Amino acid sequence: MQENILLETRDLRKAFGGLIAVDGVSVKVAQGSMHSIIGPNGAGKTTFFNLLTGNHAATSGNVLYKGQDITHLPLHRRAHLGIGRSFQITNIFPNLTVLENVRLAAQALGGDNYRLFRRADSFQRYIQRARQVIDLVGLNAETLLPATVLPHGGKRKLELAILLASDPELLLLDEPTAGMASEQVPELIQTIDRVRRQGGKTIIMVEHNMSVVMGVSDRITVMNQGRLLAEGTPAEIAANKTVQSVYLGELYGDLNEAAGGSHGV
Amino acid sequence: MLRRTLASNWFYVVLMIALIVLPHAIGWVSGDSPFGVRGRPVGQSIYWQGILIEVFVLAVLAMSYNLVFGFTGVISFGHALFFGVGGYILGIVLEYTDLTGEVGLLIGIGLTLIVSAVLGLVIGLVTLRLRGVYFAMFTLAVAEMFYIFFSRLALTRAEDGFALTELPVWIDPTRSRLTFYYIALALLAVTFLFIRRLIFSPTGAVLLAVRENEERARTIGFDTLRFKLLAITVAGMIASLAGLIQVILNKKVGPEVLNVSNTIDPLLMTIIGGAGTFTGPVIGAAGLHLGDRLLRDLVIEVGGASIDIGANWALILGIVFILVVLVFPYGIVGTFRRWRTRQAK
Repeated sequence: MQENILLETRDLRKAFGGLIAVDGVSVKVAQGSMHSIIGPNGAGKTTFFNLLTGNHAATSGNVLYKGQDITHLPLHRRAHLGIGRSFQITNIFPNLTVLENVRLAAQALGGDNYRLFRRADSFQRYIQRARQVIDLVGLNAETLLPATVLPHGGKRKLELAILLASDPELLLLDEPTAGMASEQVPELIQTIDRVRRQGGKTIIMVEHNMSVVMGVSDRITVMNQGRLLAEGTPAEIAANKTVQSVYLGELYGDLNEAAGGSHGV
Repeated sequence: MLRRTLASNWFYVVLMIALIVLPHAIGWVSGDSPFGVRGRPVGQSIYWQGILIEVFVLAVLAMSYNLVFGFTGVISFGHALFFGVGGYILGIVLEYTDLTGEVGLLIGIGLTLIVSAVLGLVIGLVTLRLRGVYFAMFTLAVAEMFYIFFSRLALTRAEDGFALTELPVWIDPTRSRLTFYYIALALLAVTFLFIRRLIFSPTGAVLLAVRENEERARTIGFDTLRFKLLAITVAGMIASLAGLIQVILNKKVGPEVLNVSNTIDPLLMTIIGGAGTFTGPVIGAAGLHLGDRLLRDLVIEVGGASIDIGANWALILGIVFILVVLVFPYGIVGTFRRWRTRQAK
């Protein structure tokens, strides 16, 4: 299996005082793949994720992107390398319109941020890009509403639109369906999958909802208590005895949810 | 193009014309010439010009504060430093060098802008990494430090400060007050237009993004520290120009220009008028300062007891502030705008 590795972690560790949240995790993510990270609550998924995005500083170990060490690169510099992320808890610009939320993300990497004496709305390419992405996630009808008035599902879509607007090569999705009504989940996942196939993107997704992960992932990494528990294709993970024993309760819960449809917070 | 600009901004155009005509109108009504009476700076028109210049100064100061607080979401308690620096530099230039008249004035203005920009950059670089209240406390400490030094140092003539005696005649507010009135008005108009321009630019869009959600702004690729630095520096330069007008009007610079009230006043004016709006700080400045001036000597009789408004101004202001925060949570202009958009829907 000789694939092109886009992102790699080497023995990545993160300690909060005495608590070791991520304990020596090494993962390789192939270009163009959908790679999911799952694990029970408190497994260290989100902390691991925040080390990839730069929201947390690693205690030791390295993060490599296209072979370049980005372990200590600040957030905004990672964006310029083509790494974009979404947040589990919706993280938008609440008092700006939907269009402006997305337009800002389109503008961010465009090199016009210091044009003090031209109107922002005279840069048509950013507005067009924003409208295109808003169309893709299906928020056309809400374009001019302040982001704060959107319902939860709409905010999740906006979260994704902000991420897509800057056209990143690597998309880091932190529980993209968190808190969504279960009937809206497949639509959002399909949108994400379409973006990946059409744009040749690489996606790393942290998910709690097992049924979501199984269908669309190329590879799955299972974490438990800060460590890497297993890694493989969805079929391999489903068949893995260790994963089942550690993850059984959660798995049952999620399968029940997938069947019954009462998706929790 | 011009016609459309004028049509959509008719309110500002009318207000501007009114402010240009006002000294003459007061002069005509009161019979006191707007140029002074018998060559002396007295009479109703001159008096009101002085008060309006103070309003313009406070409005410019509040607008600059609003750029940082209202548009970028950074709470600084050190704005008085920038206000005071303007006056002191002019005082030092006129006092310690042979430069007088226009040359001294121009060099004073130039140095003021340079020093306030450098101060903004240095203080920003050192402190902007601090978050929220820590940043606010640090800026307060820095500004207070300057206040204490400047009120004790021999270089700055301690409590006495400098008298600005060598100003060119055409700007001297005791000899050419009307000209000076128009200069202050011009600064108000230019500041207003400049900030509006800035906020509607791509750079301004980023400032709003920083205010709304700094973490997200960084995640999508903005180096937010730079934008906060830019806001503080530009606001500092504008505040220093306001300080310059203030000390020329008083023809004196002393430690009072660095007083913390020059931070608190624009903060209150911005909140009362409406933080993050264009006209809010101007309305706040005009309301508070005119209120202060008009009610200062007022004594009202209530059931045999007389209440001295002027002596209790701080108390009244406090009550007004509490009421405004309760009734207009987004300031006067901000709440009105929200109300109007709700009506439109």
